[in-house]
Amino acid sequence: MSSPSKRREMDLMKLMLSDYKVEMINDGMQEFYVEFHGPKESPYQGGLWRIRVELPDAYPYKSPSIGFVNKIYHPNVDEMSGSVCLDVINQTWSPMFDLVNVFEVFLPQLLLYPNPSDPLNGEAAALMMRDKTAYEQRVKEYCEKYAKPEDVGAAEEGKSTDEEELSEDDYASSDEEVVGKADP
Amino acid sequence: MALGDSDHPADIDEDLHSRQLAVYGRETMRRLVASNVLVSGMQGLGAEIAKNLILAGVKSVTLHDESVVELWDLSSNFIFSEDDIGKNRAVASKPKLQELNNSVVVSSLTTRLTKEQLSNFQAVVFTDIDLETAIEFDHFCHMHQPPIAFIKAEVRGLFGSVFCDFGPAFTVVDFDGEDPHTGIIASISNDNPALVSCVDDERLEFQDGDLVVFSEVQGMSELNDNKPRRIKNARPYSFVLEEDTSGYSTYERGGIVTQVKLPKLLKFKPLKEALKDPGDFLLSDFSKIDRPPLLHLAFQALDKFLCDFGRFPVAGSEDDAQGLISIASAMNDSAGDAKLEDIYPKLLRSFAFGSRAVLNPMAAMFGGIVGQEVVKACSGKFHPLFQFFYFDSSESLPAKTEDVGDFSPLNGRYDAQISVFGSKLQRKMEEAKVFLVGSGALGCEFLKNLALMGVSCSHQGKLTVTDDDVIEKSNLSRQFLFHDWNIGQAKSSVAASAAKTINPHLKVEALQNRVGAETESVFDDDFWETLDVTINALDNVNARLYVDQRCLYFQKPLLDSGTLGAKCNTQMVIPHLTENYGASRDPPEKQAPMCTVHSFPHNIDHCLTWARSEFEGLLEKTPAEVNAYLSNPSDYSKLMIKAGDAQARDTLEHVLEYLDLERCETFEDCITWARLKFEDYFANRVKQLIYTFPEDAATSTGAPFWSAPKRFPRPLQFSTSDPAHLHFVMSASILRAETFGIPVPDWMKHPRKLAEAVEKVIIPDFKPKKDAKILTDEKATSLSSASVDDEAVIHDLIARLEQCRMNLRPGFRMKPIQFEKDDDTNYHMDLIAALANMRARNYSIPEVDKLKAKFVAGRIIPAIATSTAMATGLVCLELYKVLDGGHKLEDYRNTFANLALPLFSMAEPVPPKVIKHRDMSWTVWDRWIIKNNPTLRELLQWLQKKGLNAYSVSCGSCLLFNSLFPKHRDRMDKKVVDLAREVAKLEVPDYRRHIDVVVACEDEDDNDVDIPMVSIYFR
Repeated sequence: MSSPSKRREMDLMKLMLSDYKVEMINDGMQEFYVEFHGPKESPYQGGLWRIRVELPDAYPYKSPSIGFVNKIYHPNVDEMSGSVCLDVINQTWSPMFDLVNVFEVFLPQLLLYPNPSDPLNGEAAALMMRDKTAYEQRVKEYCEKYAKPEDVGAAEEGKSTDEEELSEDDYASSDEEVVGKADP
Repeated sequence: MALGDSDHPADIDEDLHSRQLAVYGRETMRRLVASNVLVSGMQGLGAEIAKNLILAGVKSVTLHDESVVELWDLSSNFIFSEDDIGKNRAVASKPKLQELNNSVVVSSLTTRLTKEQLSNFQAVVFTDIDLETAIEFDHFCHMHQPPIAFIKAEVRGLFGSVFCDFGPAFTVVDFDGEDPHTGIIASISNDNPALVSCVDDERLEFQDGDLVVFSEVQGMSELNDNKPRRIKNARPYSFVLEEDTSGYSTYERGGIVTQVKLPKLLKFKPLKEALKDPGDFLLSDFSKIDRPPLLHLAFQALDKFLCDFGRFPVAGSEDDAQGLISIASAMNDSAGDAKLEDIYPKLLRSFAFGSRAVLNPMAAMFGGIVGQEVVKACSGKFHPLFQFFYFDSSESLPAKTEDVGDFSPLNGRYDAQISVFGSKLQRKMEEAKVFLVGSGALGCEFLKNLALMGVSCSHQGKLTVTDDDVIEKSNLSRQFLFHDWNIGQAKSSVAASAAKTINPHLKVEALQNRVGAETESVFDDDFWETLDVTINALDNVNARLYVDQRCLYFQKPLLDSGTLGAKCNTQMVIPHLTENYGASRDPPEKQAPMCTVHSFPHNIDHCLTWARSEFEGLLEKTPAEVNAYLSNPSDYSKLMIKAGDAQARDTLEHVLEYLDLERCETFEDCITWARLKFEDYFANRVKQLIYTFPEDAATSTGAPFWSAPKRFPRPLQFSTSDPAHLHFVMSASILRAETFGIPVPDWMKHPRKLAEAVEKVIIPDFKPKKDAKILTDEKATSLSSASVDDEAVIHDLIARLEQCRMNLRPGFRMKPIQFEKDDDTNYHMDLIAALANMRARNYSIPEVDKLKAKFVAGRIIPAIATSTAMATGLVCLELYKVLDGGHKLEDYRNTFANLALPLFSMAEPVPPKVIKHRDMSWTVWDRWIIKNNPTLRELLQWLQKKGLNAYSVSCGSCLLFNSLFPKHRDRMDKKVVDLAREVAKLEVPDYRRHIDVVVACEDEDDNDVDIPMVSIYFR
């Protein structure tokens, strides 16, 4: 394992070498977007999401924060903020993991095997527990409406990176901020 | 027991002592406030002990000394000035010590003590007493009814000793000061012995032999009898219970297991007996494992020398050293079984030379240790030192032995210190240029220490201290250079002038700048380059990491330390010898997952986290958003439309609520709002949740949804006869009124009148939102309301906001409230505690009082004066080594200590990691330099020649080049410095000739090579 100072560079590089589309915000290395395809053999197949990745100052000691930019219907993703309540990212993160793990393993696992017993989206969890078919139908409707590859791609080209940065900074999720931050 | 329980426990000033209360708790504080302590011997050590006890807030401290202040005392006693020379030490000490805390009775005694006088105290401390008298006094204290805690402590040069005797049967109430560990049960077997497994939410921290009790167990309810049971085979998620449960009912679900901490009985030996049979010594340094028995002998030999000659050995006198060695040798020969193989004459020689000197760092360190032992004796909190502790820091002596003449006194205030280190090192210290970062608890102690040691005290010397904070009341219980009349003033200025009172020669400059990237024009290259050493006195990791980076960059030693309650640690960062501070890190604190905090709390911390977050949303964020909208409605609306997402929609919905339906104009409106909030939070939301997930809900695998660690919630039924419910409504409506600028009427503080007003509020019936099941039947029609186009909703919300704005009085603004934990009258903590406790009630979680709520929600870091003093003493012992120069790695020490146990663990710092590539090798302390203003291509080629493929170049947190970004290829022929200016917006000061970039490289075999930072010279 290399020194922590270069982990951002290395992890980003590995992610791009694994053919992920990465979009930097103003050449900063703290925040960027990554395109993520719904895993095959899941109701999310065919959907495309932009994932906002934020590397905290203490990365890789502290986990990256991961959020869905376009909407997704999923028991463990907050519908409004797109925040993920994913155990392995938030709780059991170790500096041994990197961004490729997040996109190759953790996120596909999350979409393949949602965990309705720790829901962030209670409605989705309840539906999944009671009526799997209806739940999958709903997932697909959301994909169709919010996660069409052509729309996600277009949205990205439509906005300049400057605007995105501005909008993100000004309207960061209020809820998430309070829960997460330790003030010294 | 020597516990000073009194019938009328005095009131504790909780604002003053909040940080200390977080360590000790109220019970210990009550016992402290009832304790009378004697401190005998008011040289440096006595002064430090008395200071720590007065700050801690005992009932009284009696200072005893029969002698007068000497010039020698000024090396270690922060109270005396040159004017005090010739006055009785106890008398001279009293007024300045009294200033530290007016609620402690400080008095002085100047005559010979009789043992009968000791009956007036719960604890007595002697810092300067011959063994014969000590044995007599200790015997008296040991046999006294109730016993009096007896402590004998000495610091002699770089050597120190402590002895404790708290009587024949002393009860330790809490042996480690940690909260009892708990676990949430997942299963219990019907077996002998029984296996208990817990949920994999958090690792268990039980140890074999711990006692535990069970509660809330369903099924095997036999265990809920509150009887302590012993455990074994403690593992991260399970343990074995030494009990036959095969005949018990079968475990069903639920249950919490909690560690029980039973009081521990200690049988102390009296001094006379313990001297012959000292038992196990408390060890501080494994590289000096044979040292304590030797020092046990050396201190007894010194006592004999003092008796025989009536004076201390003279520094530099080989005859005196030989005299001491002979005494020690003779004592050793007659020691029988306890005879040591080697008495290390060389070590005894330096013990003899320095024995008359009380050094400030030693006094600070031992003042902390002994102060803590007195607190233990008075309260039963934490495990006492049992019974001898010996320590030496002989590594602090100059690396090159000095000419004996160099130890001779110069008739100045540093004579004691010169007798140990020589006048050459003294001069280096006086000329040192030191940067002290922070002027809080650690900073105050450091300023005192540096002033006494004479650091930066000649006109070539310079001490720069910076802190951007101002003094608050809660600081005063340990930041002893501040007094209540300083509240509101800048910490660094007050501390610096107090330090100048201690030693008027101190050349100190006080600044109010926070150290960080934004103040690099203040702390510029010139500033850093002239420094000899930096001392951190910080309270957070980020600032430490920043200073570490600067010290690394300018190749300056950094002495870091920190405390947490009774624990402290020190870390030395020495250029090229040790790794840097940032090279190793503690894992970040675990935070509760969001879903747990939102809907499934299972402990009070989760409830408090939620309460704090709701507080900020209700009283700070939304009012601020309202003001943002009102200040510039058209720009605000445009931004929201541009964002066009669920987030923006949510924000607007809140703003609209505040300005429309929930807008408050009278105080009654605020009560209505508060009452409805109660209904929403503690009734409706819970009803909705258990409607969606009924108690018997099962997951897809058939397992019960409400299984551990989740707790099934129940809605609250509001009642004006429940004071907690009313308290919620009261604090919420008062703060709501504040945000709307509505005055609070006096009548509302009467519970009955408030209750009457609350009764008037009409509560609509709760109707569950259509649940997922019903929605599925309607799926043919359309998606649920949640998925209606956000953009359309946002436009609609903005239109409605416009309407509301017309109805507001011109210039209307809300007043956002920022959470302030330290004001007991502002209702902030009242609301947070009420929010958290009502939620805890929903989930049948035990509630907390306001004080505990304040510690958790206010993230109050527990802090006491003793561990702080000790940390700074340890650092200053290292400072001697740094300023001398020429010390090797093995001379330095990092320390971790926990005064509660007590535990002292000192170890050599870790050397920096050496990286090798081809025939080159380097560490984090090295830097590569490339000159002649290269282009990016030239930089990459330069690295290529070393066999390194650079794939990423960055400057600060900005990426200048990444080989996979096609657009970065256009940057190849630009000068690197221009890229840094354009992309990273780097501003290079005129005087600087280079910039620094971080390059990530691979070698020929595609392995990452961690190369040093590259400095690029461009002019």
